[in-house]
Amino acid sequence: MYTCGIDVGSVSTEAVILDVKNNKILSYAISLTGSSSKNAAKKAFEDTLRNAGLKSGDIKAIIATGYGRINIPFADKNITEISCHARGVISVFPDLKTVIDIGGQDSKVIKLEDGNPIDFLMNDKCAAGTGRFLEVMARAMEIDLEQFAPIFIKTNGKVDITSTCTVFAESEIVSLIGQGTDKNKIIKGLIYSIANRITSMVERIGLTEPVCMTGGVAKNQGVVKALEEKLGVKIKIPDEPQITGALGAAYLAQNIS
Amino acid sequence: MGIKNRLKAGIQKNLNQKYIKKLLGIIAKKPILYTYGSTFSSVSNKYLNIFTIESLKDAYSDNSHPVSYGSLFIPYEMLHALGITPFLPEVMAGFTAGLGIAAQTIKQSSSNWYSQDLCTFHRSASGAVELDVFPKPDFILTTNLACDAAQKSFYIYSKKYNIEKNFYLIDVPYECSKESLRYLTGQIKNICMDICLKSGRKLDLSKFAEAINFSNEFRKWAIKVNDIRKTLSYYPPYFNALNYILPFHVLAGTDKAVIFYKYMYGELKKYLDRQPKKKPDKKGAPKRILWLHLKPYYRSEVFDILERKNSIVAFEEINHVYWPELDPLRPFESLAKKMLSHFLGGKIDNRINAILSHVREYKIDGAVLFVHWGCRQSNGGARIIKDSLKKIGIPTLVLDGDCVDQNNYSHGQTKTRMQGFLEILNSKT
Repeated sequence: MYTCGIDVGSVSTEAVILDVKNNKILSYAISLTGSSSKNAAKKAFEDTLRNAGLKSGDIKAIIATGYGRINIPFADKNITEISCHARGVISVFPDLKTVIDIGGQDSKVIKLEDGNPIDFLMNDKCAAGTGRFLEVMARAMEIDLEQFAPIFIKTNGKVDITSTCTVFAESEIVSLIGQGTDKNKIIKGLIYSIANRITSMVERIGLTEPVCMTGGVAKNQGVVKALEEKLGVKIKIPDEPQITGALGAAYLAQNIS
Repeated sequence: MGIKNRLKAGIQKNLNQKYIKKLLGIIAKKPILYTYGSTFSSVSNKYLNIFTIESLKDAYSDNSHPVSYGSLFIPYEMLHALGITPFLPEVMAGFTAGLGIAAQTIKQSSSNWYSQDLCTFHRSASGAVELDVFPKPDFILTTNLACDAAQKSFYIYSKKYNIEKNFYLIDVPYECSKESLRYLTGQIKNICMDICLKSGRKLDLSKFAEAINFSNEFRKWAIKVNDIRKTLSYYPPYFNALNYILPFHVLAGTDKAVIFYKYMYGELKKYLDRQPKKKPDKKGAPKRILWLHLKPYYRSEVFDILERKNSIVAFEEINHVYWPELDPLRPFESLAKKMLSHFLGGKIDNRINAILSHVREYKIDGAVLFVHWGCRQSNGGARIIKDSLKKIGIPTLVLDGDCVDQNNYSHGQTKTRMQGFLEILNSKT
């Protein structure tokens, strides 16, 4: 039996096919969401079917999650990313207590007890502390986002970015560059500003180990290291952190009768 | 376009006092009002709408009845006894949201230097005052109980209308003691006497006793409504007790509040009798939510999500009958006691104790604290409320939003938070 989970995020859409009998991921696909969440979900679903060598009729149930979850006509049900991320990480790290998920436009912290979500906190109506913040800054600095992590690791010292708002922070770094400030120190400051926001969310909800990070930003080792330093804990990362929501959705789809 | 939408569109286009008076002149005529009222889904709702429109008509009319602006929690029984028409800018701000004119009134308040940090009930009301949309008051009564914004913004209104001498702030002491009661009783009495002097009205003690008796009668029926809600698993579709601020506060001291709650009780009783006698098993039973603070007064999906996820608002803290029965022979002292017993007064422990008793009485599964932008008195307690409920195993969703300003409402985020919270509740058996 196969189930599928589709996580339609603001930046990317992921689909995962789960081989329920053997309890393993059969295939997954990641694509950009673009302007139509419906089309993005369809494409991710078709890609992952192709990767698995299956047809849509082979899939017993589909659950959609993420901000575009309500707009997927071929899904059997939609469940929030809070429940799906929780279920997804538990399949990888069964004893987990805290999940930090940083996606394109949302960041959230989920507290788990016996594998179930018991509380959560999400960022407010603002892009600060999300993947979008890093993207905008990388564009403003004309540096590839993938370079942020190695720069963070090799650079000593940082420049504090005082603006919370993404738009104002962008102006602030443009001014700093204009003043001749070392770009590497600006990058280090930007990563710490995200870590500070997330740390405050984690502290509000209460830090309990083990901690795991999911979402596209978990691939950025700079952000992970800054968070580990601020929180004083080791953070676990799944092999493919970006598909955790879709994986959880695929697991939850098993319950659809 | 239905009659409600036609009314909304008319007000949105002609946001001025003259137009509102004209509208009220048409819809508040008895045959029209009662026919219009009868289109509502229940008798209680019909009366709520009739009383609201009649109360507005009185406030906007050019008759000899003085009008007093009032904030929530002031002793309306006294105003009714004096024959003074109350008008509530904060409640009207809720109406601006429902009518789709809050963007205009809030914009006006910004133009008049009201801070964006101020709660939008007061920003929208201030904008309406600046636009001369509200009727001119003869008196303004407010209190420092719970809300910190009303005491400042209401004073600004008194300056705008040149009635600073008719502005009264009822200072409710922090501690509930004999001395506090004496102090507060004296204040209410002095304010009453001053209003009599300035309005040329005489305090008729028998009328005051009548208002107190009506208030007690309303209290009795409100308690009966609350009691029946302890056993209700489903509600009639029209029922939303977060809308009952007018009968609960402003109409206290009139037969109208009694009528409303009496009908509401009858309807809920009938509904209870029709519910299946066999209770659904714990897993299939709707999750019972305690709603803390207020709600968005514009169209939002918040309550639809609850319904879709098999959950009900079992109780709202704003409908808690927190005060003891009033003594018609000691009206001033009774009203002072009522104000002093409010759960939002004094230490946060008073509010928490009330919340914990609601959890027990209404068999609550989870609580939603709606964090209205700029409302310090409610939001300041979020952490301690969440922690207190956590101790007894009740999850709490602290839901950020705005009761009045739709621009401060994030549809997707609110939906995900509500849905995620209900998923957590439903996963608990």
